[in-house]
Amino acid sequence: MLRRIISIFKRDLKVNLKDFISLYIFVIPVLFAIAINLFTPGINDTTINLALLEGENPEQVRYFKDFAKVELFGDIDNIKSRVKARDDIVAILPNQENYYIMSQGNEPKGVIEFAKILNSFYQLDIQIEDTNVEIKDFKRTIPPLKKQLVNTAILFISILGGMLIAINIVEEKVDNTISAINLTPTTRKTFILGKSIIGLLLAIFGSLVLIFITGFTDTNLIQLLMIVFVSTLLSLLVGFIQGLNNDDIMNAAGSIKLLFLPLIAGALAIELLADKWQKFFYWNPFYWAYKGNDAVLSKTGSWKEILFYSSMVLILSTVVYLFLAPKIRKGLE
Amino acid sequence: MIKVKNLYHSYSNDDNYAVKDVSFEVTKGEIFGFLGPSGAGKSTTQNILTGLLELQKGEVSVAGYDIKKIIPKMFNKIGMSFEQSNVYSKLTAKENLEFYRKLFDVKTRNPDELLRLVGLKGKENKKTGDFSKGMKHRLTFARSMINNPELWFLDEPTTGLDPAIASEIKNIIKEQNDKGVTIFLTTHNMYIAEELCNRVAFIIDGEIKLIDSPKNLKLQYGDKLVEVEYIENGNLIQETFSTVIKSDKKKLQNLIGKHEIQTMHTKEATLEEIFIKVTGRRLV
Repeated sequence: MLRRIISIFKRDLKVNLKDFISLYIFVIPVLFAIAINLFTPGINDTTINLALLEGENPEQVRYFKDFAKVELFGDIDNIKSRVKARDDIVAILPNQENYYIMSQGNEPKGVIEFAKILNSFYQLDIQIEDTNVEIKDFKRTIPPLKKQLVNTAILFISILGGMLIAINIVEEKVDNTISAINLTPTTRKTFILGKSIIGLLLAIFGSLVLIFITGFTDTNLIQLLMIVFVSTLLSLLVGFIQGLNNDDIMNAAGSIKLLFLPLIAGALAIELLADKWQKFFYWNPFYWAYKGNDAVLSKTGSWKEILFYSSMVLILSTVVYLFLAPKIRKGLE
Repeated sequence: MIKVKNLYHSYSNDDNYAVKDVSFEVTKGEIFGFLGPSGAGKSTTQNILTGLLELQKGEVSVAGYDIKKIIPKMFNKIGMSFEQSNVYSKLTAKENLEFYRKLFDVKTRNPDELLRLVGLKGKENKKTGDFSKGMKHRLTFARSMINNPELWFLDEPTTGLDPAIASEIKNIIKEQNDKGVTIFLTTHNMYIAEELCNRVAFIIDGEIKLIDSPKNLKLQYGDKLVEVEYIENGNLIQETFSTVIKSDKKKLQNLIGKHEIQTMHTKEATLEEIFIKVTGRRLV
């Protein structure tokens, strides 16, 4: 059985590596990861950038460096050019006895306010020791938006696994090869398992690649893989059914995209809706998978919690399986 | 090798049967032809025998296995060449065969040898999506031999092939049969059936009308006459003689001795003529 499962997987891999759409699906996790890194701010990007004149007031520079990222420039023209650059940076420049703030005009209000207050604190000679607030942190340097995007991307990747299976099933249908497979000692179960491997591996390796590129390497990978595994099962089922129901790769892929709706709904419900609305999303496996991923990525998930979320996804996927299994069986006849 | 008793099948699960009360047996080493026009029930019967269709009613045993409870290892013993070629178009011819051979538990044939046998030598590494219809058909035919089947189902094995290739395919079928392979041949081509089959069954509207050897059928249904064309005084003359009546036999002997014979044919009935006689329908 194992030999046949591997043969079916190797055949699919060989065909997918020759096919442009499948190759594109293979690299999507990498593209996701790069895009997330490019478009979400790192924790350092949320600090305030200040431009100052070099040598004008060394004491002020030292003071500001405790609270912001300081860049020094030799003259006003260089500072002007720097302030006009795409990122958020403001300059604090001398004006006779006082200082004025130079900004590009599109900086967040908070950045300007911060610069104003910092300059006032300096002029009033307020030191860190003067505060009675103590800050404690958990040394987490990843911003929440990035975590949400990575979480959603992991679920997207699980759907891509289903899409790949649909593509491979459509190929079998178009070439009419399922009947030939049925006349070998390959059982239906072996065939389904063999066909599922590529989708499952894409989801697992794609998620790992995403995690490594986006810098979530210190999360509990076993917990993460457990959630990825169970959430991929649903996508695989849908991949099979859409593959069997379509004769065209693009139609099958398009039908699989319907899964993005419950995925987005689950993610938005958790992030945006109040607790009283949450119960309306308990039917959605992606809701639980998102919760599970969130717990893993935040490093707050206990095993009990992760097992609960995984079980919820598994139970809901089993319900879907019970509904789809006769259709899959019939389609493979 | 095949035992079928009172087989019925309905696609609509009612009394509208595509196959009704079909019974026959195929012995080991035999080439059994299943002849009938399109929609007669040939493919339905064959699909039940190969397990592609579920057995609804009747008793069927294939290669010693009860079709009611098919076990996977049965497929190690059978091969099937489909009428519609079904190969992976994104794989090469050799990759197709290499993949299929790994799905069997028995000793398989070398893909290169099979490709050479069906005239696809030199095309091993060509993607089958770029193959002609005939080439795909030959690959499908080659694939059906990969597990050295004891029982070989052939569905229209020469359809769409040019005469030279069709002749090669017929030779391969004969060679395999000489090695002891039992063959179940489904076709509407009476010539290939006549040439290859030890026995044929005529099926029409889901019912078997007759089973016998082509030779017996010809004897039973053909006219016992000889048609002769000969030259006499520079003229071409045509006459028909009985091969049973004594006086006609003598006349024929004299004719052969005295005249230059141009053509001489026995008036045997073709299988198609017999089919029409028996069923009242044409094979196409």
